[in-house]
Amino acid sequence: MRLKHPFVKISGLRHWALCALWLAGAAHSSAAETGLIARPAPDFALPAAVGNNVRLSEYRGQPVVLSFWSSRCSLCAAQLTALDRYYGTYRSSGLVVLAVSVEDDPQRAVDYARSHATSFPLLLDQTKLVSRAYGIERLPTTVLIDRSGVVRYLHSDDRAGDPSYVAQIRALLDDTLGAP
Amino acid sequence: MNSFISKQFPMNTMSRRLLRMLWPLIVVPLTAPALAADAVAAPSTAAADASSGAAAPAAPAADATGTTRSLDEGIQNLKKDVVDLNKDLFVLEEELLFPANTQVAVFVSMDVGDFFALDSITLKVDNHDVSNYLYTPREVAALLKGGVQRLYVGNLKSGDHELVAFFKGKGPHERYYQRAASIHFEKGVGAKYLELKITDHERAQQPEFEIKDWE
Amino acid sequence: MSGRRYAFALGLALAALALAPAQAARKSDRDKLPSIRVQDLHYGEVLFQFYSGQELQALTELEAFSQWQRMPHHSADADLLAGGLYLQLGMHNEAGARFERLLSNNVPAGVRNRAWFYLAKIWYERGYYERAEQAIGRIQGPLGGELDAERVHLLVNALMRQQRFDDAIALLKGWRGSSDWMAYASFNLGVALVRAGRLAEADPILSSVGTLNTDSAELLNLRDKANLALGFAYLQADQSDKARIPLERVRLNGPYSSRALLGDGWARAALGDYRGALTPWLELRQRNLLDAAVQESFLAVPYAFGKLNAGAQSADYYERALSSFASESDNLDGAIGHIQEGHMLDELLGEDKDARYGWFWQLKALPNAPQSRYLYAVLADNDFQEGLKNYRDMSYLSSTLRHWDDSMQAFAAMIETRQRAYAERLPRADALLGSDRPAKLRDRRAAVGSQLDAVETGNDAPALGTPDERAQWGNVARLEEQLAAVPPSLERDAARDKLRLIKGVLYWRLDAAFKARDYEQRRSLRELDAALEELQNRWVRVQQARQTVPNDTGEFAARIAALAERIHSVRERLAQASEQQNQYLESVAEAELRAQKQRLDAYALQARFALADIYDRGADQGQGATAPAPPPAPSPVPEPK
Repeated sequence: MRLKHPFVKISGLRHWALCALWLAGAAHSSAAETGLIARPAPDFALPAAVGNNVRLSEYRGQPVVLSFWSSRCSLCAAQLTALDRYYGTYRSSGLVVLAVSVEDDPQRAVDYARSHATSFPLLLDQTKLVSRAYGIERLPTTVLIDRSGVVRYLHSDDRAGDPSYVAQIRALLDDTLGAP
Repeated sequence: MNSFISKQFPMNTMSRRLLRMLWPLIVVPLTAPALAADAVAAPSTAAADASSGAAAPAAPAADATGTTRSLDEGIQNLKKDVVDLNKDLFVLEEELLFPANTQVAVFVSMDVGDFFALDSITLKVDNHDVSNYLYTPREVAALLKGGVQRLYVGNLKSGDHELVAFFKGKGPHERYYQRAASIHFEKGVGAKYLELKITDHERAQQPEFEIKDWE
Repeated sequence: MSGRRYAFALGLALAALALAPAQAARKSDRDKLPSIRVQDLHYGEVLFQFYSGQELQALTELEAFSQWQRMPHHSADADLLAGGLYLQLGMHNEAGARFERLLSNNVPAGVRNRAWFYLAKIWYERGYYERAEQAIGRIQGPLGGELDAERVHLLVNALMRQQRFDDAIALLKGWRGSSDWMAYASFNLGVALVRAGRLAEADPILSSVGTLNTDSAELLNLRDKANLALGFAYLQADQSDKARIPLERVRLNGPYSSRALLGDGWARAALGDYRGALTPWLELRQRNLLDAAVQESFLAVPYAFGKLNAGAQSADYYERALSSFASESDNLDGAIGHIQEGHMLDELLGEDKDARYGWFWQLKALPNAPQSRYLYAVLADNDFQEGLKNYRDMSYLSSTLRHWDDSMQAFAAMIETRQRAYAERLPRADALLGSDRPAKLRDRRAAVGSQLDAVETGNDAPALGTPDERAQWGNVARLEEQLAAVPPSLERDAARDKLRLIKGVLYWRLDAAFKARDYEQRRSLRELDAALEELQNRWVRVQQARQTVPNDTGEFAARIAALAERIHSVRERLAQASEQQNQYLESVAEAELRAQKQRLDAYALQARFALADIYDRGADQGQGATAPAPPPAPSPVPEPK
């Protein structure tokens, strides 16, 4: 598998550091990965940085991309940008994108939200209950949930540029994932 | 052959065939709110013109109807079984986790005229946090329509207890408000129901919050 | 079959039903009494779930709360809501049963009317038109809001199905409702009249729909359809001059434009204007070949040329038609192959349709890929749509059960823990309960009580003395005895006097303290009694708990096991049904594609005959039939361009 970062320009040394990090990450499968796949996604309700409260279960019937991020994490910015693009493309087909900020200081998240405007809601998980429920250990982590509310894919890295990512989103939209 | 020419697409045969074929396309009405004016599709009534070959799929349609019916019945029964099962599971869960003699349930109702956007409610029983619920616009709308939400179910021993509720929201003119209400109640034998009522206070133009004990 | 057709309308109806309690909440309606007030909290919770769009949850709670009898004030409301929810979730048999339960007399009239209404809908959908009509007849008084319009519409349809058009017309003429419903009802009636051969009566009705003034997309479509239907009716009745008027009203950029163009061409052709007919037909010919009207135009154009004696062009167009049909037929073969291999969804959509994913799930417009246009007709098929909805329903239901699956494990663990705890504690509890200690304590209390009674009755002051005092008293008593045994003497008398004095002092002291001490003892006994009472209560509670305990856990464990088994078997059935549904959907799609192919083949056959005819004729005449203007071409067979 190749390491591709089409959005972020990285200097040589950082590139290798990231490679090493990625390799290390690849070997280790987090509790989240092994525990959540094919299980119902834990429901939650969170306030948004801008706008109304959001409850995950209200989106049952639509595929949901749930991305955990933090303003301190550099890869997260690229992730959010990529997600914004996907949202623009597949929104009319019913895709839902939610970003959950794992931040101690909610003001940072709000400021970040204002400066990196996205068309999907940025949610604030101040008590960290939701990130704990999803077993988040690394950022960015993205969880792909199907129309029935079941976790299908989980990525603990920045793979938003990867074509397989898009294929997964499309599969969720078409719900061609096999028997219920 | 010449006679065949004159027979080529004579107007009447053509238009008749066309009409037969196109009737289902013409007369099938839109779904809502047209109520099933599936003015029965013509192909099944029209005699198929042998030479036209524009076969109205009469045969497959008949099979399909038969298949549809038995499949549909089977699916209806299956759905009913799922609903029954769901109910039995719900009943089991509540009887197991919240038996009647210790059950306490807190409900929320809203009877306000102007729009109040309820944001969250926090509940404490005997000084312990038991619930912190965030409301989405959909849920607020459901309350405004007259729904009564069962916000919390728990267990308590017989005796005296205290419930404190904090609610946050946004009123008209984008004003934020925060209120609290509390009640002491006696838990006896049998389930205890409490209702958080959010109502209008006409003069003050803000919501009022009271707790009703359903003895 | 069309169980879902009125699901939308039902949603409106239920919303109307459900909005009634909301009226209490609106400031402007404070003077109005609400038709339904929530009197039981749990009914309110069901409504909350329903308004939140959680229909399955609402139904589940409704049934559970009914079982627990927590909604005593709303039994009729609950039955009505349950019926509506079953209907909305696609279980019309069950819904029908619920509504029938509501037809007894001790149900409020409003509820009974609604029950009749929904029953009428269900019977209509099942094909029992007469019963549907009768059911509507049982409704007394207005239903409220949209439902009244819908009732009339339903009745009109039921009458038409029974071929009672005059009654239907009369009903429509005498009724004034919202224009939307009127338009649909009129359209249906007009079409039925046409099919019954009553064109003259149909004209004004369809024309009124065909000249509707509206902005709504749906009504614009309806308008087009009405004009199309009228136009074709006139065509069929050989009144082509009258056909052109409504056909020209059909929008050029609307979904019915192709058919209208075709019909317009035929109208002109019927009036002898073949050159004029070419205008709409040539336009049509450039459109999507899978449209039936377009296929006709492929043959109609050369036909017109033939009528204009332009044999060369006629042949040319027939040739082109043949090659187009052939290639399209090949494409259809490919598509059918895809379906048979089970890749209906994947490959029929082609690649890279970014913005159009999810069409299968959401039943919206298909992507614009070359292959996917085959599925337009499939998508329009009602059986297909019903089947698709069932497929989605079962997927959703299965995921609901999956949530429970996890819970069952938790419950089982909980029960096991409880059982272990009880196993530990029960022997001790039983031992304790068997010891009957309270009884023994009560006996002792009784004994002490009797003692005190005796002391009081006998005024036995020494009995309440302190231990020292009692010891002294005992000594005194003993000395008395000893002295009595001694022979009389002066010493003995002196000793007896002294003893009497001591005894007197002692007794006086005891007697003075007696009342207070007695009071103390009594008070102490009362406290003891209170404690014993509390002990007794607790004892009884523990006994009761102990009696229920083994049954509780045992019963729960059995229920959990049974339910886990049911979940498993229902999920299996769901998977099977989904698979069957999938196969059914594929067969519907395949049948549709085959039908399209057959049509193409039939047209191709026609074209071949016509072409053969032209060549034969050209051969017979020894020259090619040519266009009227240029001189006849020398070669008998014109070269197609």
